[in-house]
Amino acid sequence: MIKVENLTKQFGAFTAVNKVSFEVEKGEIFGLLGENGAGKTTTLRMLATMLKPTSGTASMAGFDIVSQPEKVRTKIGILFGGETGLYDRLTCEENIAYFGMLNDMSREKIKDRIKTLAKAFGMEEYIRKRAGKLSKGMKQKVAFARAIIHDPDIMLFDEPTSGLDVSAIKEVHDFIKICKNEGKTIVFSSHTMSEVEKLCDKIAIINKGELIEKGKVEDIKQKYGSDSLEDIFIKLVGDKNES
Amino acid sequence: MNLRHIWIVFSKEVKDIARDRKTIITSIIVPMIIIPMLSILAGGSVQSMQRDMEQNVTVALAKESNTAEIRKLITEDIIAGFPNIKLVDVEDPLEAINNSEVRAVLKVEKDFKEKLEQGKTFVIEVIYDESHTKSLGSLGIISDAIKEFKKRVVDKRLEEMGIDNEILQPVKIEETNIANDARAGLSMLSMILPVLLIILISAGGIAPATDLVAGEKERNTFEPLLTTKAGRSSILIGKYLTVALFSFVSAIASILGMVLGYFIDPKAMTLGTGAQLSGFSISGTALSFILIISVLMGMTFAGIQIALSTYAKSFREAQTYISFLIIVAMIPGYATILMQPNEIPLYMYVVPILNTISAFKTVLGVNINYTCLSIALVSSVVYVIISLKIAISLFNREKVLFRS
Repeated sequence: MIKVENLTKQFGAFTAVNKVSFEVEKGEIFGLLGENGAGKTTTLRMLATMLKPTSGTASMAGFDIVSQPEKVRTKIGILFGGETGLYDRLTCEENIAYFGMLNDMSREKIKDRIKTLAKAFGMEEYIRKRAGKLSKGMKQKVAFARAIIHDPDIMLFDEPTSGLDVSAIKEVHDFIKICKNEGKTIVFSSHTMSEVEKLCDKIAIINKGELIEKGKVEDIKQKYGSDSLEDIFIKLVGDKNES
Repeated sequence: MNLRHIWIVFSKEVKDIARDRKTIITSIIVPMIIIPMLSILAGGSVQSMQRDMEQNVTVALAKESNTAEIRKLITEDIIAGFPNIKLVDVEDPLEAINNSEVRAVLKVEKDFKEKLEQGKTFVIEVIYDESHTKSLGSLGIISDAIKEFKKRVVDKRLEEMGIDNEILQPVKIEETNIANDARAGLSMLSMILPVLLIILISAGGIAPATDLVAGEKERNTFEPLLTTKAGRSSILIGKYLTVALFSFVSAIASILGMVLGYFIDPKAMTLGTGAQLSGFSISGTALSFILIISVLMGMTFAGIQIALSTYAKSFREAQTYISFLIIVAMIPGYATILMQPNEIPLYMYVVPILNTISAFKTVLGVNINYTCLSIALVSSVVYVIISLKIAISLFNREKVLFRS
């Protein structure tokens, strides 16, 4: 479903992402683990076609991010950062429908999908209220619905739990599980070992723009002879920083 | 670029801003109420000041001139025909000017009577304070009264000598003003309207332009928007059209405010000059020219404002850049405020902002030069294209878009 090949991004002389390659199968949750500034967001922004790679490319649901960015965008949904970016003066329904319309969905389809999502996320009571008047938790659900209004095959999550409280983190985790159950392929970035361990089928550890390890969590643990992903991460990142 | 996506972004942004009470109040309701209110207050205060200046001219005599003879000269011979001038008694005449108790102090030569009888010249010194508006304004009225007295004395002296007073007037000047009230009104409009319109149009776009890109980045709604099927150019054009629309809505609201103020109190709206702003007509073609040129200038401003909002790292930074744009726009407006339509050099029709000002002045002038108007129109189209290209180019540059 996702095939990343030698993906590289340079900002002037600085290389933010250096020849990153990985593959994610359909329905898998792939975790990108790394410290702040490791290159996770830049990688996800390239996969979301917001940034153009300096070299290398990626295939997303069969479409190339460099030559077919518009087609890639119809296949992906994103949830970036902990803050739910909504238009406060629009109703929840209008917020979700706006993204449906920009993804070329018909009015009827948008209406049906909003009805389904409102029921699934328990938003029926406040779906016609302005987003600015809702609680943080309610807003978060609207942001989830907005991200999947066009029923994307791939979901990109960039540190979706950063800055959230415990119950909000649980909502995000549940949402990721819903996406997985719907058969969506997920790329998830985080610097929290426990949530990566809990959610991901496969992980990749990224440091200073380079992929230094990838594979199934269990395989990596076995390879380094440790039960703690945190210890493995610190060892790998520390070794790399020293060399 | 996709027209459907442009329309979706445009209608969403218009709906969003129309629900923003703060923007609606500051860009539509406030200009409609504040402009006529301020004009009426300012105009009313000018009118009342003028009335006061003309009707209550108080004069005092300098201490050394405060004699019965001089008082008689002033009250019976000089200000008798001027009921608006009053001689008052004050303790310290010069201080009285400072305290605005009197407008001027008169100092008359003590031997004036002898000089008058001998047919000689005597001096009346009018002491006033130029820094006091009312004191300065009264000088002419007091001088008129003294001139009137002087004329009577001259006539009397000539009569006694048996000479016709026409000998002193070999030539008489008769002035005939061929400008009608309506044309005078247009001349005044050609000074005020262009600069006002430029300020209003550039100011009207501040709130939407700041909100639509810099605000969107800060609210974290920008990244999801960029991952929809809509291309960046379509998103930008939708936002750009919204800014242009609100610039005009705001400018129209302000002009409606001025029209409303004119109907309530025409004199106040023309700062007490009484200039007629009605009764003139502008040809349909000329009106179409200035309307299109104004729309094009608004579109140029919208392009620059969106470009600045894209470049800004934060909402505040965008506000600073865009507010500064009004000052840049005001400079050519004020620099040419007194320029008359027939004095406009050709190059002004191709310089940004000045081309719109020149087009307005030309249309409100006596002879409308359609060649010049066409040059202004073409140059305006070129600036719209340039500003839009800059905005699109910035919006498509990763370094600018994700600057933080």
